[in-house]
Amino acid sequence: MLRYIGKKIGIFVIFMGLLSMFVFILARLAPGDPLLSFYGEGVERMSTEEHLAARQRLGLDETLPVQYIRWVDNAVHGDFGISYKYKQPASVILMALLGNTLLLGTVAYVSVFVLAVLLAVFCTLYEDTWVDRIICKMGTIVYYLPPFWLGLLLILLFSVNLHWLPSGGAYDTGRSNDLLNRLQHMILPLMVMVTSHLWYYTYMIRNKLLDEVRRDYVLLAKAKGMSGYSIVWHHCLRNVAPSITSIMAISITHILSGTYVVEAVFAYPGIGALSIESAKYHDYNLLMLVVLITGALVILSSLLAQTINECLDPRMRSEGDSIWQKMKTL
Amino acid sequence: MAENEDFVIVGAAYKKQVRPVSESSVWRRLWKRPLFSLLVLGILLLGCIMAESIMNHHPSDFYLANLNEPPNTEFYFGTDSLGRDIFSIIWYGGRVSLFIGFSGMAILTCIGVFYGCLSGMAPAFLDNMMMRTAEMLSSIPNLLLILLILSIAGKPTPISIAAVIGGTSWMSLARIVRSEVRQIRASEYILVAKSMGASFPRILYYHLLPNFLSAIMFVVVSSISSCIMLESTLSFLGLGLPVEVVSWGSMLSLSNKALLTNSWWVILIPGVFIVVTLLCITNIGHYLRGAVNRRSSNL
Repeated sequence: MLRYIGKKIGIFVIFMGLLSMFVFILARLAPGDPLLSFYGEGVERMSTEEHLAARQRLGLDETLPVQYIRWVDNAVHGDFGISYKYKQPASVILMALLGNTLLLGTVAYVSVFVLAVLLAVFCTLYEDTWVDRIICKMGTIVYYLPPFWLGLLLILLFSVNLHWLPSGGAYDTGRSNDLLNRLQHMILPLMVMVTSHLWYYTYMIRNKLLDEVRRDYVLLAKAKGMSGYSIVWHHCLRNVAPSITSIMAISITHILSGTYVVEAVFAYPGIGALSIESAKYHDYNLLMLVVLITGALVILSSLLAQTINECLDPRMRSEGDSIWQKMKTL
Repeated sequence: MAENEDFVIVGAAYKKQVRPVSESSVWRRLWKRPLFSLLVLGILLLGCIMAESIMNHHPSDFYLANLNEPPNTEFYFGTDSLGRDIFSIIWYGGRVSLFIGFSGMAILTCIGVFYGCLSGMAPAFLDNMMMRTAEMLSSIPNLLLILLILSIAGKPTPISIAAVIGGTSWMSLARIVRSEVRQIRASEYILVAKSMGASFPRILYYHLLPNFLSAIMFVVVSSISSCIMLESTLSFLGLGLPVEVVSWGSMLSLSNKALLTNSWWVILIPGVFIVVTLLCITNIGHYLRGAVNRRSSNL
């Protein structure tokens, strides 16, 4: 057991190391003076000596590997540099907004998968009837609506014309603890998140279920007199559960990047809107941190899903593949 | 039929044996079904190519007297907040959007196929490493990776946008190609080609590519859609093409202003063009993939 946990931690550390190296090199490739991101416009007023001294103090005269190690050392101690735009430590700004994104993301994630499983079961029970066909057609069309455009249309309809719901933000000013107010602001973003992701996952789960109901045990259960509903619900769904958790692990990346677009459309204060802002203002320190946090979130949840899968189906442990390789069979 | 003539079959229920029809080719399948999608896509493409002869206003003119005008007989699709005629620039902008879609697809396919083949043909250790690298890259949300690169790169042009989109979304294609190549690589003809001294590009082009082409067709075609979608998202966010370079996405970047004036046509019309294009492309892709044959259900 200890070895098992150690292995998972090892994977996480190696992954974060590689990711940070990649991001660090990419950020250092950026044109422009990295000093700018530490001192802001003050750089232009510096004399040559001051400039050199500042470079030395920040270690910018060292070689890239040394710089990287120094940066990692700082990062481990929680210092990710100063945000150029906000003139504050990048981690402080990020932490203030992370909660909002996690709230929106988690609620969207849960509702997408609850609805996807229900819809997939429904489609399986009514396979190839007109209901199933209409759902499939509608799903495909909805899936190809660009999420940001869908968001704009919803704002146009519900906020601008009908005045039912607010058009943006996470809460009205000064009412950040008002749950009802928060909920009101979350309805439209959530609608966009759910509609733009639902069909993709429903389709995958539906396909898995359609293969499953062609197995022999279904015929046996049918012969025993079980209803179609209870066969799918009690037997088939259980058998495809490992695939669903694998899909759920992969989906975290998609749903997170979905949050980013939605946040930008609805001006929802989260790390997605923040990362788009910082990309616009070339605020690399902040952007690097967002990428790292996102990467950590994604790898952690995929390790978690792997562990859950191995508990659900111990056969998987012997294979020792990553979740991603198991996705091949999907 | 020649070999059948030697036999004379007699009996009560004599039926001439008909050979099963061989699997129809990609082209025949294409010809068979998605005619409507092809027609609509053809009209869109033709309209974009011949934009100059369709449009009734100059795309770079600003009609300052007619800001935010709803659709009427003078401006068929209305005007936006800069006073541009939407009907004229939509055809003009379609060129850029479709160009990014197709060239993004080309870049993504080249990288994905090459990387996937290389990984599939490599020894297990290297293959594992290459796939883990791709896995790591695909764990960062695509959009975030693009944001990072775009903020570092200089002023975006249609070509650079296509390159960034193509360069960051090849991972899933590479994975499919790799698993296909893994299945093919054990076959004798690859061994023969190798022992005759064929180079990797030659094996890739003559032996691998024709064999997994049908498997990746759907992914390749639908990647046109995802490139168009990504471009419009980026331009809408203000990180893609600037407003001066007209594309369907950059037309939508004016939509925040349009929300304030409640001018629905500025938002609705470019979006409808995007969605119709995406749906047509996807429909064609579905037919290229062919139908999934399932046994009848046990339920």
